[in-house]
Amino acid sequence: MNIHNYEKVWLMAAILLIVGFISTVTYGATAVGVDMISDDGGTVNASALDEDPRFSEPRVEQVGENEYEAYVIAQQFIFRPDPITVPANSTVTFFVTSPDVIHGFEIVGTNANAMVVPGQVTELTVEFNEPGEYGLLCHEYCGAGHHTMEGSVVVQPQDEFTQGGDE
Amino acid sequence: MGEEQVVREIGHDEYDPKGTLALIGVYFVILLVMWVFMYFVEFLGNELTVV
Repeated sequence: MNIHNYEKVWLMAAILLIVGFISTVTYGATAVGVDMISDDGGTVNASALDEDPRFSEPRVEQVGENEYEAYVIAQQFIFRPDPITVPANSTVTFFVTSPDVIHGFEIVGTNANAMVVPGQVTELTVEFNEPGEYGLLCHEYCGAGHHTMEGSVVVQPQDEFTQGGDE
Repeated sequence: MGEEQVVREIGHDEYDPKGTLALIGVYFVILLVMWVFMYFVEFLGNELTVV
């Protein structure tokens, strides 16, 4: 087979590009540690969230030094708790579920972005560094009030943080 | 009809479409720049990455 030189150049460049794409994603997943949204949170009975040990009381709780877990319910047309208050310089794992329909969970303008499915617990872990406030919104059409469904995530300076939803 | 055309035949290896090569080269560079911008600047630079 007679392949023109230019064609060889182009083929090789295309192969290198693919190798480059794959290694970039590998770099992101290993060196940077970018993770996928997981379903490790398991499942819940969507019609009995008030009896569920994790979701009967939506809250943020401390589970280790600078490690927190946030149990969030996304429902028509609010997020609970609202605001979700977390301390700065912390690692927070969100467990999000829905008692009614599919919702979205997006911390606006960031990569923290997931779907919330009734009966399924969406689990995602993010690191909060600077104090500040983020918007939180639903980006899956969930009914007539979808456009009003918003919340907020408040990142408080560590010394001002008081744990929400204490027993 | 028409007048005689001048026809020049060239072999496979003499055919060098430099313009096409340059155009593809430009596309390739755009692709590289976009990839780097999208992944390293827009995606990794966006705070609150899922870890």
